[in-house]
Amino acid sequence: MSAVWTVFRKELLDALRDRRMLLVAFVVMPLAVPSILVGMSALGARKQAEKIESTLELPVIGAQRAPNLVAWLGSHNLRIVAPPADADAAVRNQEREVVLRIDESYAADWRAAQPARVELVFDSSRPMQSGTTIARVRNLLEAYDREVGVLRLIARGVHPALASPLRVTSRDLATPESRFDLGQQLLPYLLLLLAFIGGMQLAIDSTAGERERQSLEPLLTTPASREAIISGKILATAAFTLMSVAVTLLAYRLAFSLMPGDRVDLSLDVPAHSLAPLLIVILPIVLLGATLLTALAAFARSHREAQSYLPLLIFLPMIPTLFLMVAPVKTQPWMLAVPFLSQNQLILRILRGEAVTALEWASSLGSALLLAGIAWLVAARLYYREHLAASG
Amino acid sequence: MIEADGLLKSFRTRHGEIRAVDRVSFRAADGQITGLLGPNGAGKTTTLRMLYTLMRPDRGRVLVDGIDAAERPAQVRSRLGVLPDARGIYKRLTARENIEYFGRLQGLDAALIRARTARLAAALDMGEFLDRAAEGFSQGQRTKTAIARALVHDPRNVLLDEPANGLDVMTTRSLRQFLRGLKAEGRCVLFSSHIMPEVAQLCDRIVVIARGRVVADGTPDELRGATGLANLEDAFVKVIGTEEGLFA
Repeated sequence: MSAVWTVFRKELLDALRDRRMLLVAFVVMPLAVPSILVGMSALGARKQAEKIESTLELPVIGAQRAPNLVAWLGSHNLRIVAPPADADAAVRNQEREVVLRIDESYAADWRAAQPARVELVFDSSRPMQSGTTIARVRNLLEAYDREVGVLRLIARGVHPALASPLRVTSRDLATPESRFDLGQQLLPYLLLLLAFIGGMQLAIDSTAGERERQSLEPLLTTPASREAIISGKILATAAFTLMSVAVTLLAYRLAFSLMPGDRVDLSLDVPAHSLAPLLIVILPIVLLGATLLTALAAFARSHREAQSYLPLLIFLPMIPTLFLMVAPVKTQPWMLAVPFLSQNQLILRILRGEAVTALEWASSLGSALLLAGIAWLVAARLYYREHLAASG
Repeated sequence: MIEADGLLKSFRTRHGEIRAVDRVSFRAADGQITGLLGPNGAGKTTTLRMLYTLMRPDRGRVLVDGIDAAERPAQVRSRLGVLPDARGIYKRLTARENIEYFGRLQGLDAALIRARTARLAAALDMGEFLDRAAEGFSQGQRTKTAIARALVHDPRNVLLDEPANGLDVMTTRSLRQFLRGLKAEGRCVLFSSHIMPEVAQLCDRIVVIARGRVVADGTPDELRGATGLANLEDAFVKVIGTEEGLFA
C-alpha cells in the first residue's frame, strides 16, 4: 500500500512540475470549455431574441401580383425587399434565409376563389440558422390564409366555426431547466469527455513515456510490486483529471455568473449546489478513463503509438449522446447501469434539479466502477509482460 | 552472494527462436568484485536481468544470499542494488528526489533516506548537483544519480550493467574507486562489461561469456594459466575465439 502511495505522490509531483501539462489541464481546459458553452448559449439567446422581435427582411418575387398580401405582411413587422436575381442560388449561398415567390396566376386564382399559389424557398438542412425565420414567415402566411378564409365564409353567410372542426390548444409543461437543446447535450458530453480522457497526457507520460526515457527498468528493480506501481500511476492520473475537471467546472460557473442574465441561455447554468454531485457522478468515469489510458499506454511501445489509440477512446463518451439524439427516449432503468449513458442521464437530471434515488446512484456508480475494475486487472496483467521493461 | 545455476533464456523473434542465454552458471562471492566479460550481444544483459528478477529464466535458478529469486522476487530485489542498462532518471525531480523516491519504494523512512543520501552524495561527489533538477544533467551526473538511488537501501549485493558506458576518464576513475569501496565494505559486486582493461583492473574473478555460454571462469591469474598466455588480453581473445565486439 505504501508503494502505491509513493508512486502516486511522485507521479503527481512530476506532473505538477510539467508546465505544458499544467497549462492544458488548468488553463486551456478551464478557458476553452466555458468559452464554448457560454459563447454558444449567449449567441443562441441573442439570435433567438433578434429573430423574434426584429424587423425581418423578406424578398418577394412578383410582389406586384399580390398587393394586399404584401401590404398585410408589411404591417406585421416584415420589410418587403426586392428579390435577388436567382432565388434558389441566393438561398443556397445563405445570402437569404427565405424567399417568397408569388405565382404568376395568383391574381387570377384569387379572383376565381381558387387557392392561389405562393411558394417559400428555403433550405431545411440549416434549422439552427434559419428555422425561426422560416417558421415566422410560414406562420404569417397561415394567419393571412385563415383571416381571409374566415372573411369569405362570413361573406357567404357561413359560420366560420364550421370550417374548424378541431381546435388544438397546447400547454407546454417544460420547466426552464428541462428544455433539451443542443447546448444541453453538449455540456454532459464535454464533461464526460474531459473526465474520460483529461488525464491522457499524464497516463501516457507515466507509462509509455517512462519506458521511452528508460526509467521503467530501474523502477522495476525495486521491491515494489508491479500492481502497486501501476495502481499508483492510475490513481495519480485520476486525481489530476478530477482536479482539472473541478477547476473547469468552477471556471464555467464563474464565466456564467459574469454574463448578464438576459444575455445567456439559463438552461445551461450549473448551479453551485450541483457541483459536488456532478463530480461524484463522473468519478467512476475518471477512474475508468485513467485505467484505460494507463493500460493502453502501457501496451504501446512509445508516446506516439499511445497517442494513435486516442481517437478510439474519444468516441466512447460520444455514444450515449448520439444514442439520445437518435432516440431521445424517457430514462429507462437499464440505462442507468450502462456506463456513459447513465452518467449522461444523471448529469442532465442533476442540472434539471431532478431527484436521483439511492438505487439509481448505486447502479450508475457500481456499473462504471465495475468496468474500471476490469480495466485495472487488464492493465495490471499487461504490466507483468516481460518485454514491457526489457525493450532496450 | 549471488549464484546463477544453469540459467537458460530464449526469445521468439520473427526469424525463429534465439537462445540468448544457454546454461549459464557462476557464483559472485561477498567481498569480491566479479566481472561478467563478453562481447556485445553475448547475453550479459539478459543474464543480469534474470538475476534482478526482471525476467524469468526458462530453466535454472537464481539465488541471492540463498533466497530463490523465482519464489521471493521482492525479497531478492530488496537485497540487490541494481544499475540496469537503462538508467533514465526523472528529469523534473532533483537528484535528491530521485534518490528519495527509490528509498521510499525500498520501504525506508525519511530520516534514514536523508542520512544515506548524504553518505552516497559524499562518496560519489554529488554535492554540487544534488538539489538541482535532473534536466540537463551530464551523462556522468545521471549515472551517479542512478547509482546513488540504486544503493540507497544499503544492499549487500550490487549489480551494474556496463557501468562505465558513456563516462569520461575522470568519472570512470572515480567510479572504479567507488566500486573498490563497496568491495572493502564486504559487499558482493557484480558488473558486466565488454571492455577488457576495465575488467582486468578491477576484478577478483572474471566470468567470460560468449554466445550465451560461460567460456571461462576464474581469477585473472587462473585465466592466464589456463590459456598459457601471459597477456590477459590475448587470453580473452583465445577463450572467446574471436576479437569481434570485444574492443568496441
